[in-house]
Amino acid sequence: MTATPPRRQCDRNTPPKPPSSEDITLGLFVQNVLDYAIFLMDAQGRIISWNAGAERIKGYSTEEIIGKHFSIFYPPEEVAAGKPDWELEVAAAEGRMEDEGWRVRKDGTWFWANVVITALYDDQGRLVGFGKVTRDMSERRAAEKALTQRRRLLAHLVQAQEMERRRIAWDVHDDSIQAMTTVAMRLQLLAAKLPEESAESVRQLNEAVTASIGRLRDLVFRLRPPGIDSSGLVESLSSYLEQVVSQWGLTYALHDELKYEPPPEPTITVFRICQEALTNIRKHAHASSVTVSLATVDQGVLVRVSDDGIGIDEQAFDQLSGLEHFGMNEMRERAETAGGWWKIRGQPGIGTTVEFWVPAPLSPDGSQMS
Amino acid sequence: MIQAPKRVSVLIGDDEPMIREALREVLEAEPDIEVVAVAEDVDETILLAAQHAPTVAIIDVRMPNGGGARAAREIRSQSPGTRIMAFSAYGDNGIVDEMVRAGVSEYLLKGTSNAAIVAAVRRIAAA
Repeated sequence: MTATPPRRQCDRNTPPKPPSSEDITLGLFVQNVLDYAIFLMDAQGRIISWNAGAERIKGYSTEEIIGKHFSIFYPPEEVAAGKPDWELEVAAAEGRMEDEGWRVRKDGTWFWANVVITALYDDQGRLVGFGKVTRDMSERRAAEKALTQRRRLLAHLVQAQEMERRRIAWDVHDDSIQAMTTVAMRLQLLAAKLPEESAESVRQLNEAVTASIGRLRDLVFRLRPPGIDSSGLVESLSSYLEQVVSQWGLTYALHDELKYEPPPEPTITVFRICQEALTNIRKHAHASSVTVSLATVDQGVLVRVSDDGIGIDEQAFDQLSGLEHFGMNEMRERAETAGGWWKIRGQPGIGTTVEFWVPAPLSPDGSQMS
Repeated sequence: MIQAPKRVSVLIGDDEPMIREALREVLEAEPDIEVVAVAEDVDETILLAAQHAPTVAIIDVRMPNGGGARAAREIRSQSPGTRIMAFSAYGDNGIVDEMVRAGVSEYLLKGTSNAAIVAAVRRIAAA
């Protein structure tokens, strides 16, 4: 390269000469790549070239590293175990060698690396050296680790929440509903014994108690649909639609194309996401009808919850962070925590569809087959 | 008033004492209904049903020792003349179906009025 760009010296009437492959070489590219450490080694593993990426990732300058053995990049115990030499042997025997593991920078800090060593042969097939490409994967590894930890934590939370809901549901069922049923029965007996002028107020009291028994029953249903452990997904969803959703003034349809009832965990995941989606429809969609479809796809359950309401403007929805606004992150996280996916689509005036899939593999003995 | 009403004998099976007592009072307030036995769990319900062969057994769905479905199946086999009515806080379709398969003729939700309970007892006793 010349110090001054040639274009400045050009006559205005002469178009600038496009750069040729002589100006831009592969060597130049390799020399300047920052994202990968790319360097050459002789057949014994001594470093004979060094690029900008290598300097950035490993911390050594060209002057410092040329002539050094590449085992300098390995943790001491791996050097003691002979790993660098073994990697060269594998690369020489098989042409290439790929590895992921810890490597050491000049300052002694470690980083997680993806490494490819390629054996280089001359025309006569003699080994002349190796090319080595190293990528610093620390950030990706940290991000993956963080995601895994987050998923694990979320799974624990979901499980704890379900247990707590179940406990509250049983308490309400076994205690509150029973006690209030007794009260209602006794109020009716009392009303029958009282003179008419007092009986009326006792009857009204009974009506209030009876109405609240109904509300408690709905609460139990929302907390833990009683049949979900014994009757399965379709039955529970069908009951929920019949007993809860129809009371919201929505007509509904349930399409069941499941080839088998999913195991308990995916069942509760699907049920909860449906519950959330249906609650959203009630609150926001201004819909008159809702359709829930279940199908077995790829050893999992594919679910669509569609309404005929006002729909969503997907672009505006994204801009408004609608996902968070409508508690949809919870649905997505439930699906993703279970190893599935979740999405929402819709058009203004046409309606909205929540679609998700969660894995629901059969147990090896096929005991979940319906 | 009917001169010599044919009395309907009833067994109550519920693990909740408050419910057992209230139900007994509701039924015994009726001249044609007699509560002949009261049980606290599934085993006792089955045993007393076999002993008394009541016209009607009113059983809770969620009861210790196997639940109402087991009680219903056993009563049907040991005392075939007994009609069974489930009395439950659940209205879940799956559970109703399970109880019906187990031999229950009537399924009443807790919170149903006393009048409706009495009417249901008379209805299945006459069936």
